[in-house]
Amino acid sequence: MELLKDLRAMYMLVLWDLSQMKRRTVFVVMRVAWFALQVTVFGLAMNAIVRFRGVVAQGIDYYHFYLFGVYASMLFSISVSKAYDVAEEFEEGMIEYLLSLPMKRKILSLGRSIGGGLSAFLFTLPMYAVVVLLLGVYDPVAVLLSLLSALVFAVGVTGFVISVVLSLKSSDYTDIFFGVLDALIIRLSTVFYPAVVVAKIAPYYYAALVNPVSHFVDLLRTFFFFEEFKHLSVSSPYLMASYILGFAAGVSSAAIYIVEKRVEGGGWK
Amino acid sequence: MRLDGIRGGLLIALRDLDRFWKYKFWLGAQVAMNLADILIFAVIFNNIVNRQYIPDYVKFLATGVLALSTFASAFSIGREVGIEIRREFTHYLLSIPVSREALVFGRILSGTLRGLIYQASFIVLAALIVGTPTALGAVLVLSTSAMLSASMSSLAIAISTSTRDFNLQATFRSLTYYVLFFFSNVFYPEEILKQRFPGAVVFLIKLSPVSLAADVYRWAFGYNTSINVFHEYALLLAWTLVTLVLASALYLRNLTRM
Repeated sequence: MELLKDLRAMYMLVLWDLSQMKRRTVFVVMRVAWFALQVTVFGLAMNAIVRFRGVVAQGIDYYHFYLFGVYASMLFSISVSKAYDVAEEFEEGMIEYLLSLPMKRKILSLGRSIGGGLSAFLFTLPMYAVVVLLLGVYDPVAVLLSLLSALVFAVGVTGFVISVVLSLKSSDYTDIFFGVLDALIIRLSTVFYPAVVVAKIAPYYYAALVNPVSHFVDLLRTFFFFEEFKHLSVSSPYLMASYILGFAAGVSSAAIYIVEKRVEGGGWK
Repeated sequence: MRLDGIRGGLLIALRDLDRFWKYKFWLGAQVAMNLADILIFAVIFNNIVNRQYIPDYVKFLATGVLALSTFASAFSIGREVGIEIRREFTHYLLSIPVSREALVFGRILSGTLRGLIYQASFIVLAALIVGTPTALGAVLVLSTSAMLSASMSSLAIAISTSTRDFNLQATFRSLTYYVLFFFSNVFYPEEILKQRFPGAVVFLIKLSPVSLAADVYRWAFGYNTSINVFHEYALLLAWTLVTLVLASALYLRNLTRM
């Protein structure tokens, strides 16, 4: 009975997060316009500039490589933008209200992570469809597995974001932290360039190796173009999938710990 | 504008400049983003670009990012003016003993100064990476930055005040920002654009203020001396004058309409 009650509470939280999507229509319009410009103007021009050499050159089309990168960076940025929503909720007193509800705090943090991740995932679905259309590969297994990993990744990023915002408790710090994080994490990943190219600069390579975005984007590439991209990935497909699962589980646990032990209402700067 | 008008405008600009430091978090994020473009994105990309088109991508981007940084920073004033409109702080600004023309002048001047302050560290970085500009080059760099900053801040102000709706403000501003950002030659040279896009698109990209400014920077820092710099400079000047006049008129109209 207790489990059913918890599941129902979590379901309500997920529904509440999804209902907030309506408020973000304009945000989505902006991101879609940005995405369209990236895959047309920026992507096509960069494709003409890039010339893979050596082992990287075998059967690789940079534009295909790049399309996965754009999708991964968009999903990451939209999941990270949950930080601004949570900061706004704190300012509006919504977090205090949620903390006062008759539900376990672990359910609250899990529900928000899943709800936020699901809404980010749904926001990027039209962009995902465009990417698949441009790739011209409709393998149902690849589509299913990539969507599943995208959902797990989005839930992980949202869990991380919630943990950080609730620890910082400041909208100013939230703004700068996630602005810088977004810029650095995307550039220090394999979103725009393969791991073998990044490997020429050791600090960047190790940063890319521990970066969940690298594992996620390379996993997507492997699902669709295994032969072409197997030499370029940060790791083997099983390790990348395990990394994404571990990342989601780890940051969700951190979110649970922070909401259960460290968050109290008030004290928001 | 009379002397007291100029004084009033300067006071408004100084007040805005003072507020600039209040948003250190925003400034920090912007600097980090532009630095990451040069120190990470360009350095890694340098290993995979076709050398036939771009012999040194770090130098190419270091000069391009100068244009990007000025433009991004100058656009920040639009965000603040938008907040003022929503919170009706504009009524207070209109009630102070400063003419409306002086108010518009002050706001645009502060946007320009913000762009210049923000860009200063990137000029030093470009000089270290690409080379020190000549005396003429230095004059061109400073005046180009001032022109780009002035036109972009006035454009951002005009866009932000065209509606009271926060979402629409943000959308208009972001769309303008991203169109100018991607339709520029900051990340890719003209030869590539000619290969990939129809002539009309290449023409528009070449005429965009960010591209014109990037061309002047590339010439001034000695990266690309084959550019007809005075032609690009004259076009940017024309762009700036037209944008300043139109955006100021629109801002003035919006101020009295709100």
